[in-house]
Amino acid sequence: MHEASIAQSILDIVLETALKNGARTVRVVNLLVGKISAVDNSALTTAFDVIKEGTIADSAILNIENIPIVGKCNDCGNLDEYEEYFFQCKKCRSFNVELISGEELSIKDIEVD
Amino acid sequence: MKTVEVKKGILERNQENADLLRSIFYQNRIFVMNLVSSPGSGKTSLLEKVLPIVKENYNILVIEGDLQTENDAERVRKTGVEAIQINTGGACHLEAVNILKVLKGYDLTKIDCIIIENVGNLVCPSSFDLGEDLKVLLISTTEGEDKPIKYPSMVRVSSVLVVNKLDLIPYVNFDVEKAITYAIGVNNKLEIFKTSCFTGEGIEEFAVWLKSKIEDKKL
Repeated sequence: MHEASIAQSILDIVLETALKNGARTVRVVNLLVGKISAVDNSALTTAFDVIKEGTIADSAILNIENIPIVGKCNDCGNLDEYEEYFFQCKKCRSFNVELISGEELSIKDIEVD
Repeated sequence: MKTVEVKKGILERNQENADLLRSIFYQNRIFVMNLVSSPGSGKTSLLEKVLPIVKENYNILVIEGDLQTENDAERVRKTGVEAIQINTGGACHLEAVNILKVLKGYDLTKIDCIIIENVGNLVCPSSFDLGEDLKVLLISTTEGEDKPIKYPSMVRVSSVLVVNKLDLIPYVNFDVEKAITYAIGVNNKLEIFKTSCFTGEGIEEFAVWLKSKIEDKKL
């Protein structure tokens, strides 16, 4: 359950950004979370909901956009989405697949009043 | 309502601490390895076998991460290598700040290698950079051979895979080559070792590899 630690990091960045921009209330926090980043959406939301209390983000909603895993084969150039965590090129069977997306763990923006 | 762009990595603070550690390790030419696995795969046992070989030529410091007890640090100390124990209390992983704290005021000038034995957990430690040169991932033959595809994030961030407890293969249903293929399917850059801390198989190879990494860092 490292989501508690991740939730704390999110809250720190959100509050700092809100303060810098003179916001009174944080309404929405938009996150980009890659499917292979080992973060569980519901655990993260639960943790965030607990720690946000008493801050200007206490009514903020975590909006998590899960980014699919897309890999590019460095041998044949094939670009494909991977549902399974096994990155063997679906065309030429090579393991030389580089992930283009799916490992994100970032805050895109926040919506504030 | 207005939208404020943030565009920041969530683990930015940990990353800053990890970058600071990495620069300290670089200045002191210390090779740092972050050892990760599930609980009970044999991280400490591997160290008990490898440390006596490597300590002949190099000064090593081991940092042990566990929720509770000093047991692993004591096992390491019996090999004659210095060990610092971090008890995380309840936390399931080490963060860069934990390492910064225990190394504060510590004389690193004589150290050649730091081995951080992370909390036994195949999920959470994958997200937290500790300033290491590389992560070494252990899986053992008493686990399922599909561990690499069940816990892909850890495989992605690791540079080395050690398949441990080879001596138990006659008694367990574990296909080593299948496990390695799964791991390569998740991360094709993995370097692979196969070991048994019971028979000593593969230990020398791993020790030789570790020594070469320590040497490379001095260049």
